[in-house]
Amino acid sequence: MNIVVLIKPIPEAESRLRASSDGRQLDPEGIRFVLAGYDESAVEQALLLKENAPGSKVHAVSFGPVRCEEALRAAIALGADNATWVEAPPEGSDDPILAARSLAAALTSAPHDLILGGKHAGDDEEGLVPSAIAELLGIPSFGSVADLRPAGNPGGISFARVTEAGVEKWEVPLPCVIGLQQAWNDPRTAKLPNILKSRKAPIEKIDWSKTLAALAADSQPRSVSERFALPAPRTGAKMIEFKTPEEAAEKLVRLLREEAKVFP
Amino acid sequence: MTPSVLVLAESPAGAVSGPTKEAFGVARTLAGPDGSVAAVTTGGPAAAQALASFGPRDIWVADIPTESTTSGAVAALAARAAQESASAIVLVGGTTFGRDVVGRLAVRWGAAAATGVTEVTRTDSGELRVRRPVFGGRATETRTLLGPRAVIALRPHAFGAASEIVGTPAMHLLDRSVIPANEVAARRVSLASADGASGPPLPDATIVVSGGRGLRTAANFSLIEDLARSLGAAVGASRAVTDAGWRPPSLQVGQTGRAVSPQLYIAVGISGAIQHLVGMISSRTIVAINTDPSAPIFKVADYGIVGDALTLVPALTQEIRKVRGLS
Ligand SMILES: Cc1cc2nc3c(=O)[nH]c(=O)nc-3n(C[C@H](O)[C@H](O)[C@H](O)COP(=O)(O)OP(=O)(O)OC[C@H]3O[C@@H](n4cnc5c(N)ncnc54)[C@H](O)[C@@H]3O)c2cc1C
Ligand SMILES: Nc1ncnc2c1ncn2[C@@H]1O[C@H](COP(=O)(O)O)[C@@H](O)[C@H]1O
Repeated sequence: MNIVVLIKPIPEAESRLRASSDGRQLDPEGIRFVLAGYDESAVEQALLLKENAPGSKVHAVSFGPVRCEEALRAAIALGADNATWVEAPPEGSDDPILAARSLAAALTSAPHDLILGGKHAGDDEEGLVPSAIAELLGIPSFGSVADLRPAGNPGGISFARVTEAGVEKWEVPLPCVIGLQQAWNDPRTAKLPNILKSRKAPIEKIDWSKTLAALAADSQPRSVSERFALPAPRTGAKMIEFKTPEEAAEKLVRLLREEAKVFP
Repeated sequence: MTPSVLVLAESPAGAVSGPTKEAFGVARTLAGPDGSVAAVTTGGPAAAQALASFGPRDIWVADIPTESTTSGAVAALAARAAQESASAIVLVGGTTFGRDVVGRLAVRWGAAAATGVTEVTRTDSGELRVRRPVFGGRATETRTLLGPRAVIALRPHAFGAASEIVGTPAMHLLDRSVIPANEVAARRVSLASADGASGPPLPDATIVVSGGRGLRTAANFSLIEDLARSLGAAVGASRAVTDAGWRPPSLQVGQTGRAVSPQLYIAVGISGAIQHLVGMISSRTIVAINTDPSAPIFKVADYGIVGDALTLVPALTQEIRKVRGLS
C-alpha cells in the first residue's frame, strides 16, 4: 500500500503567540515549529499500517516555506520512507485552498492508495486541506477518523468516527483521504540514531514555479488574513466565598443566571 | 438582483439541527431585504418539509440513504444546488458533517472557504470578511474571502437560532446522477450511540460538565454525570481520567481529544494544563471547582470555587434541580 502523510509544521503548543508588526498574522519570530498534533497521529497510523502490510511505503508531503524540511525530517526519523517539500509562493500564503491545490498537483503523479492528514491543524484549525485534496483528486474523504484498519475485503479500509449522530463505523474502498483524529497508539518518539540519519536524508523539492505552471489559472489564494488578535487576557475568576457547600452552590447558580445569563 | 444565500441543511430524522437553525439566521442577515435564502438537503422530503418553517424561498432536495451520505456525494449535490439557485454564499453548521463538506464543495464550486467562523460581515466593497478563533481559542483571525463565491462553516453556538417563519417554498429535485461513481461504494455499516456518554454529544452541547483526576476514583466520577444530567449537559473529562480508564477516550476534551465551545463549561477537579485548555478555552463562560487556589484553571475561569468536589458537586446538582423544579 502506498500511504501519503500530509504534514504541516505548526507552532509548538506552549508557544507565546504575538501578532506581526502589521497586525495581519502570527509573528513567527522565536517560535519553534513542530509536527501538528494530529499529523503525529497520522504518521503513527501510517507506520502501523505499513507494519501490517509489508512492502508498503510511507511518503511524507508538506506545503509551505523552508521550515517544512524540518517537519519532513521529523517524519523520516519516525520511519517515513521518503519526503517531498512542495514550496509555497515566495510572498507566502496561508490560504488552505491554495495549499490543497498545490499539494494535489504534487500528488497526482505520486502513487497514493491512502492519503492521511490531521483532522485539523492546531494553528488555523480549518480542517479544509485533506477534503479539498480529495475533491481535486476525485476520491472520497472522511474527517474525524479513529480506529483505522485494513478492511476485510482487500483494497479497502474500515474505521470509526464519533459524530453528532453517534459512533459511526464505515467500510470504504481505496483510494481515499482521511482526516485523522486518533491512531491506535500514542505517537511513537524517534530514536536518536534515526534522528541523526534523517538529517542527511534526501528531500524531494517541488519548486513553486513548477506548481505555478501546473495550477495555471487556479494559483491565486482564495482568502487573505487581515488581522491576528489575541483576546484580552481573562482577568481571572471571580472567587465565590462560602461557609457551606449549599451556600457555594446557591451563589454560583445565582451568578450564572443573573450575571452570566447562561442558565435559565 | 442580490444573489441568494444557500443553507446546506442538516435535519436528521426530519428535525432541523441547532447549527442549521443558526445558519438560517446568518443567511437572512447576509441576504438582506433584497436577497433571498435558499436551502439544500440530502435527507429527502421529510427533511425538506422540516426546513420549510425557516423561510427559504426555494429548497433543493435529494434523497440519499444516510448509510451512503459521504462528503463527496453531498458536495456534488450542494454544488449543483448552488449553481441552480445562483447563490454566492453557502452556509453550513460546523458539525462533523458540515466541516467535511466545506473543502470539497469549495473546490467543486470554485469558491473560497472558511470553517469555525464566529462572525461574518460584508465590507464596503462587497467582500466577505470572517472572524474565527485559532490556536484553540488563544487567538482570533480575521480573513477576507476573495472572489464571488464563498463556502462557510459556522461555529456551533456562535449565533442565535433563526425564528420560524411561515412560508411555502418551491421544491426542486436534485438529480443523483451528479454523485461521482466512486462515492457510492463507501458504506456506513453501523451507527451506535456514543459509548458511555449520557446526554447530548460533546461537540453539540450548550453546556459541558468535565471532571478530572480531582474526583479521586472512577466511582466518584458519577457525581459529574449527575450534575450534567441536572443541566441537560454533555459529560467531558481530562486526559488523566481517560488514561486511567475511568471513562472512555471519546469524552476527552483537549489537544488530543475534542474541542468544545459551549455557552457554559464547568471544570471540576481539573488542574488546567495547556493541553486541556486548548480544547475548552473558547467556551463563553467557564466555572472551575478545585481544592488548590493556585490551580491554573482559575486563570481562565470566570467563576471559581476553592473546595472539595466531593461535597460541592452534589450540593450544586441539588441546587440546580431545585431551581429547575426537578426535585
Ligand atoms: C502531548 C500531550 C497531549 C495531551 N492532551 C491532553 C488532552 O487532550 N486533554 C487533557 O485533558 N489533557 C491532555 N494532556 C495531559 C495534560 O498535560 C494533563 O496531564 C491533564 O490534563 C491533567 O488532568 P487533570 O487536570 O484531571 O489532573 P491533575 O493535573 O492531576 O489535576 C487534578 C486537579 O484536581 C484538583 N483536586 C484534587 N482533589 C480535588 C478535590 N477533592 N476536589 C476538587 N479538586 C481537586 C487538584 O488540585 C488538581 O488541580 C496531554 C499531555 C500531553 C503531553
Ligand atoms: N501546508 C500543508 N502541508 C501539508 N499538509 C497540510 C498543510 N496544511 C494542512 N495540511 C494537512 O491537513 C490537515 C488539516 O489542516 P488544516 O486544513 O490547516 O486545518 C493537517 O493536519 C495536515 O495533515
